[in-house]
Amino acid sequence: MSTASIVTRSLTKSYSSLTALDSFNLEVDRGSIFGMLGPNGAGKTTLIRILTTLMRQSSGEASIEGFDTLLSGREIRRVIGVVSQENSLDRYLTARENLELHARLHGMERRFYKTRIDELLELMGLTGRQQDFPDTFSGGMQRRLVIARALVHKPQVLFLDEPTTGLDPQSRRTVWEYVRSLAGSMTIFLTTHYLEEAEHLCDRIAIMDHGRLITVGSIQELKDRLSGATIYEIEFSGDGATHYAALLGSMSCVMNISRMENKVTVTLECWECLSEIVTALNGAPVRRILLKERTLEDVFISLTGKKVRE
Amino acid sequence: MLKGSMAIWLRDMLILRRSIFSELFAVVAYPLTIYMAFGIGMQGYIGLVDGAPYSLFIAPGLITMTAVNAAYNESVWSLWFHRRVQFTIESYRVTPVSVSEIVIAKIFTGFTHGIIKGCAVGLVIFSITPFRFPIENLLQYFLFLIPGSALFSCAGIISGTIMDKPETIGKVEAVLVMPLIFMSGLFFPLSSYPQPFISWVRLLPTTALFEGARSALIAGEMLSVSALQVTLSAIITFIMAVYIFRYKMSE
Repeated sequence: MSTASIVTRSLTKSYSSLTALDSFNLEVDRGSIFGMLGPNGAGKTTLIRILTTLMRQSSGEASIEGFDTLLSGREIRRVIGVVSQENSLDRYLTARENLELHARLHGMERRFYKTRIDELLELMGLTGRQQDFPDTFSGGMQRRLVIARALVHKPQVLFLDEPTTGLDPQSRRTVWEYVRSLAGSMTIFLTTHYLEEAEHLCDRIAIMDHGRLITVGSIQELKDRLSGATIYEIEFSGDGATHYAALLGSMSCVMNISRMENKVTVTLECWECLSEIVTALNGAPVRRILLKERTLEDVFISLTGKKVRE
Repeated sequence: MLKGSMAIWLRDMLILRRSIFSELFAVVAYPLTIYMAFGIGMQGYIGLVDGAPYSLFIAPGLITMTAVNAAYNESVWSLWFHRRVQFTIESYRVTPVSVSEIVIAKIFTGFTHGIIKGCAVGLVIFSITPFRFPIENLLQYFLFLIPGSALFSCAGIISGTIMDKPETIGKVEAVLVMPLIFMSGLFFPLSSYPQPFISWVRLLPTTALFEGARSALIAGEMLSVSALQVTLSAIITFIMAVYIFRYKMSE
């Protein structure tokens, strides 16, 4: 059996003149947490709607757990759980009734879903509020209830479409904890605007823009794929920063330099250039030299030319 | 196959059960007011219509109007709300339930609302007004009320599916649904129309519904052609509703 849980081959979706997905190829390993990053309008939601059978592709193939999205929609919907961007909770049903309805839509029998719902309400910290209506919940609690609803039938693949958008930092971290606690038990496919979220949760990340897959890999792999240039921040004590910034700026191995107060940031062609810098700074009032870690934001900007929320 | 429909219908019935008293109060108030104003207030001026007192003449139509209005309103607003505001239709669509099962559930919900509210109004009119009919006529009357409610429930589903703005739904109700009900002989006999119009008005399924329902309830007379016309219209509208909903969902 293939290790891929989600597969797309040349997946394309066009709306008259607009191509939302363009020959999209992707494989997501079973049991992994996979993050899809992209600016607004990149095609993330279109991709997730095709994978969850809410929308049909124009051409190409997509499969979930071996089931083709065009031929086996019902089978796919049996094995997936979906947390959509919108709050789709039924406000006329209590928290528990929301979960019970979802269980019945999945054809579960009462004796099975009763204990499962008890477990999920406990896991999500909602047991004490199970008889309350979702409108009386905070944004974080509603989100947790939506995630609980998507888990009632024990899906093999969980789709999270921007699961923490609009939540305060504390609620976001709580949702992250729940998602992390699911790691390994199912494949999780999430789209997000938050790079921190992707870094915190995902085993592998893909970046897409204009409907195309730009790159895919682990966070470290993506960072390593940036050019060999390394960035150091040199902090001076006293007022030597201006003089030494001019000195370093004249060196051939320095690609870029900037100064802010007593801190000078230099981009070197390669880490081997550091010894030349140290030699040049002999006797300078240096307080510390820091290697600046590449962030996912750096990777994203270098690949798409824009910030993730643009 | 219809397990999903049953789950959604049971959900809708739970909501109806919770709000049944406030719903019935609102539903009963409107036809009862019309009955009091026209049936009782005007009967001294109007006298007999087609051989029956005016209050008796309009009562079956008011009960039927309540049922079909309730069926239409429940379907149109429920579908629009669940599709455009609450996004619950989308949450149903990511379960193994098919689009057809969802729309069938919603049609049955509208239909059930129609039957329950029509019966409630009938009981109230029966108990607090002089309107009487032979109980054995009820069976024939239901042969009109059931397909009539189904027809309007399906029409509501079509409106709720294709209309994205609530004000459009209100306009359709004002310029299409209400005229269809009021112009089909609810308050006056069809013989009041100029002769050339009568055959056209008779083509309307609402005319068959209100004429047939009145004959069945008051006189115990079964207008089979009218019953067939209403039933066929309901079947055609049902097929259209399912097709349109499926088409819209696939967009």
